[in-house]
Amino acid sequence: MYAIRTENLIRSFGKLKAVDGLSLEVPTGTVFGFIGPNGSGKTTTIRLLLGLLDPDGGKAEVLGFDTVIQPDQIRARCGALLEYNGLYERLSAEDNLDYYGRIWQMSKSERETRIHQLLAPLDLFDRRKEPIGLWSRGMKQKLAVARTLMHRPNLIFLDEPTAGLDPVASAALREDLKSLAQREGVTIFLTTHNLADAEKLCSRVGVINHGQLLAIGSPEELRSSTSAPRLYLTGKFPQQAIEQIRANPLVKKIEVDSNSLILDLTDLGRSHEIVTLLVRSEAELDEVRKEKADLEEVFLSLVEEERQVGK
Amino acid sequence: MIPDIITVTWKELREMFVQGDPRGRSKMSLVLLVIIFGIVLPLQNGRDWVSSPISIMVWGWMPFLWVSGIVADSFAGERERHTLESLLSTRLSDHAILIGKILSALLYGCILTWVNLLVSLITVNVAFGHGEILLFSLPLSIGAISFSILVSGLAASVGVLVSLRSGSVRQAQQLMSFGMLALFIPLMLVQFLPLTVRQSLIRDADKINPTQVVLWIAVGLLILDCILTAICMYLFQRSKLILD
Repeated sequence: MYAIRTENLIRSFGKLKAVDGLSLEVPTGTVFGFIGPNGSGKTTTIRLLLGLLDPDGGKAEVLGFDTVIQPDQIRARCGALLEYNGLYERLSAEDNLDYYGRIWQMSKSERETRIHQLLAPLDLFDRRKEPIGLWSRGMKQKLAVARTLMHRPNLIFLDEPTAGLDPVASAALREDLKSLAQREGVTIFLTTHNLADAEKLCSRVGVINHGQLLAIGSPEELRSSTSAPRLYLTGKFPQQAIEQIRANPLVKKIEVDSNSLILDLTDLGRSHEIVTLLVRSEAELDEVRKEKADLEEVFLSLVEEERQVGK
Repeated sequence: MIPDIITVTWKELREMFVQGDPRGRSKMSLVLLVIIFGIVLPLQNGRDWVSSPISIMVWGWMPFLWVSGIVADSFAGERERHTLESLLSTRLSDHAILIGKILSALLYGCILTWVNLLVSLITVNVAFGHGEILLFSLPLSIGAISFSILVSGLAASVGVLVSLRSGSVRQAQQLMSFGMLALFIPLMLVQFLPLTVRQSLIRDADKINPTQVVLWIAVGLLILDCILTAICMYLFQRSKLILD
């Protein structure tokens, strides 16, 4: 069962194709990260999925509803934290949540219980009566996430939820999001250009640039598909050992520094063969470390690859 | 749809009256309005305040001014403060959002008018009653109440229309001010007419039945309110508002 399914979705603004043939499937219950640089089409995709904009071509279904024919049904079942937090700064935190509870026709007691349920774990309950205009950006962002979950939606859209936050606030919000997502059991569609967010929160990730989907899969799959596993070695390496390593078919690429070697391997599972070879060639090893490329490298290589193809 | 309209209205009125801005400026301006229209003007006018037909002019015009002061914020303010897109991404229908905004501005004008009517009545009684209970005359009461509703409705629908099409609150307020000026200019020009023409106008005005005039104006305002609200509904498009 898919929470989101798009097929060749297209949306242009004048000559600019903001979303260009996007085909995507997001399984129910997953935290899906949609990563891409600024202006890559992430926000437009969310607007299309919420039925706030009509596509120029293709089609999209959210929770089984067509975004063009049944946008009201979609908005009734989703929550959204868009580019801006959308909070009313002249109102208190409680009133902000209460308003959204009323919008979703929750009863008074339901709203009260829910406000406590959402604000207490975020350490905001005691400050619920304060007008939020004077709150820090991190607190407002937490409140905006709580507002998104107020009516227990099946699916939530979070557009760059940690944008503009300092690293501490960003990490705290990420933790809150993680625990909220686990507790509430909702599907999350998260756009970000913060790759740490995507890596730590998402079970599936899609990479978008210039409105086109460049890759999709779990962070692990993307790491394996787009870059070779790496072996980091430090110590003393005689020239003979380096030549033998260079000639080994397991090694795709070698970077040599004064006291270190970085090897891109075809199969990280056979890295012991390399280590044995080095020991036999009288190399003195201080440290051996296996590592796969992080999502940032994957992302950069995909964007670079797309740029090269574009040229 | 009615509960949704009430929800939007609840939030708008809460922002206008209960919470306002953190520095309390909006509450201060409300108190100032009550001091001027509920205390100062009745004290200046004495007993005439509750009986003179001139009073109806005050209760007819003031709601327009009061509503104009806040209604520019309805959509332009939401856009400026980046709350509009979040609101549009909820389950609320276009009509519920729009009518909620118009209704809240209308209620703002009415509530202020009625509070001022009441305070001014108390002021007149305290200052000039001398043991007698002074009340507004029946035509004046009916006129003030109906005009406060219709004129507030007019200002609300014009304001929402302007606010829908404006990029910022300032722009919406400027447009509203120009509109008000355009309404007042014909009235101001009357004094530049030749004396004979003005005298003949006054003679003609004396012949007209005031109740009939008030009734015609009320009907005209009602029709105008409905037309403007319909235009607002026609112009309210989510996708356009998002892209604006």
